[in-house]
Amino acid sequence: MFKKILIANRGEIARRIMYTCREMGVATVAVYSDVDRNAVHVLEADQAVHLGDAEPAESYLNIDKIIAAAKETRAEAIHPGYGFLAENADFAERCEQNGLIFIGPPAPVIRELGDKTVARQTMIKNGVPVIPGMTRPESDPQTIAREADGLGYPVLIKAAAGGGGKGMRVVQTRAEIREACLSAASEAASAFGNGSIYLEKYLARPRHIEFQILADRYGNVVHLLERECSIQRRHQKIIEETPSPAMTPELRERMGKAAVAAARASGYVNAGTVEFLLDRDGSFYFLEVNTRLQVEHPITEMVTGIDIVRHQLSIAAGDPLNMVQEEIQGRGHAIECRIYAEDPEQGFYPSPGKITYMKEPSGPGIRNDCGVYAGFQVPVEYDPILSKLIAHAENRDAAIQRMIQALQAYVILGIRTGIPFLIDVLRSEAFVTGETFTDFLISNFVDWKPERTAADMACIAYIIDDLAGQNKTKVSSAGAGEILSPWHSLGNWRR
Amino acid sequence: MHYRFKMSEETLTYGVDPVKENHLKVSTGEKTLDVSYTVITDHHVHWVVDGVGVNAFVTGEKGEKTILIRGVSYVVCDADRAERTRKGARDLTRLPQVITPPMPSVVIRIMVAEGDSVQKGDSVIVLTAMKMETTLTAPFPGRVTGINVSVGEKVMPGKILVDIEKEPEDTQST
Repeated sequence: MFKKILIANRGEIARRIMYTCREMGVATVAVYSDVDRNAVHVLEADQAVHLGDAEPAESYLNIDKIIAAAKETRAEAIHPGYGFLAENADFAERCEQNGLIFIGPPAPVIRELGDKTVARQTMIKNGVPVIPGMTRPESDPQTIAREADGLGYPVLIKAAAGGGGKGMRVVQTRAEIREACLSAASEAASAFGNGSIYLEKYLARPRHIEFQILADRYGNVVHLLERECSIQRRHQKIIEETPSPAMTPELRERMGKAAVAAARASGYVNAGTVEFLLDRDGSFYFLEVNTRLQVEHPITEMVTGIDIVRHQLSIAAGDPLNMVQEEIQGRGHAIECRIYAEDPEQGFYPSPGKITYMKEPSGPGIRNDCGVYAGFQVPVEYDPILSKLIAHAENRDAAIQRMIQALQAYVILGIRTGIPFLIDVLRSEAFVTGETFTDFLISNFVDWKPERTAADMACIAYIIDDLAGQNKTKVSSAGAGEILSPWHSLGNWRR
Repeated sequence: MHYRFKMSEETLTYGVDPVKENHLKVSTGEKTLDVSYTVITDHHVHWVVDGVGVNAFVTGEKGEKTILIRGVSYVVCDADRAERTRKGARDLTRLPQVITPPMPSVVIRIMVAEGDSVQKGDSVIVLTAMKMETTLTAPFPGRVTGINVSVGEKVMPGKILVDIEKEPEDTQST
């Protein structure tokens, strides 16, 4: 096993990787930008290396600086986390060239799976069902229009290099297709530096179901059951659960086999996720492979008892997988809610700023993978994820109740979060009955506002806080972590 | 002692009568509540009303506080105080009348041109911050009289990105 690794990421995921490293006796090196000097991943690492400006290109996306930091600290391997350089084949290649082990799949595998049309060809060749559509990128709108006629409307235009909904367009009629091709191609070109697009049949109201896989260097591949991630906003997942309310043992068996076949077909090594769309008639289609540790990996860890990061490190160090498919069993039900710095009443606009007070929920079956603390200034430069709250209970109903209680007990002051919105989603009839499809939020939660039933209680809190403030010098009104000078407490004497 | 609060569009009035230390009688409308409270930390207060305990978490300055109770936030403004300091205070209950970013952002798309007429709710400009895109919309029907930024520019709250001249109230929109 490695003696020391560098974690090329920040926030909650860097911290989560460190937990496992400490358990394994592996020393950790954090990297950080100017605005993250006091970030939790820096405070908890054994060593930390400053990269530079907050701008990602100068820090967390800067391959040269990260490799130099690993060499300087004599780290043997680099864990990329998710986002930033996690699915960058060039980075994986540069690590290998510099004698560093990249904790993830080999560079050619990342490259091949990153191109959606190449990945589709690989899956077709190996008998994995894909959504009907094109297998080569195309730039001519007329050719695409002819393909669309063959498939039948509605169709979906996607970027070959795509992800996160960029360069994606649903097209309902032939009249719209030319314009949609042009705008999708230009969006893809600016987002990925590659304007290639292709066409798929559009599935109305599917479920998003993915399988966690682990593969070692010796051809052993297992899957760690499914996760359902249908609750999305702007193609970003916000609530994930396992098992899926739509799953049957027979379907799980078939989809799991397809996931393992997809991993084998691409020569996959390390942890990855095979994503599928599940249609209402029970047919499923390959969507893509995410060649990284997923944000939502903790729910799989909760139900299987398997530490995925531990296996990522073992596989990268050259160990064979020490488990077989038949041993992998899920117990109970786990749900994850992503806690973002955002204002759900203002169109989910990001809400960065200083956290003035924070109280994390706890209790049986509660896990909070958290990257912030009271006094921390949430920067504007990065993804707004603050933490991931996970509830594990013996069945789905109990897990929903456990999650609602934990969300209600979660206190974050100073910035806005999506917590009140998540509470209402979990309470909704559609969620409780498992009617979860990718159009869930637009079908059920347009123009959401919380029910403010405790207005009198809020006013009483104001009154008590006001009276308490009159009874003492409000030295504490400055947030934690700020340096107090005598001038602050002089009040009216200050000129 | 009396408090008059504004919350969203509502005005709420309370009479407060300190009985003894950490014990209040709070009256609103017909009802009077017997409140015995403890200040746990600077941001955490706990009280008992009718034998039931309540935890609330408070942040903010005098005049406007945000209170979190069981996961739901309430912005409570002291209405009397707000009137005294009308000029300086931010009145969050009013709709924004100008196109300005709510936080530091980068302009990624401008969807109108000078001279365009816009309807209330029309998309005007797309911004990005924390890797998320947000569209600012026209707060009222009118005509675009100026575009003060360009694509790629970093913009701060308070900067007016696009000038829109309000359509006179008495003319019907076409």
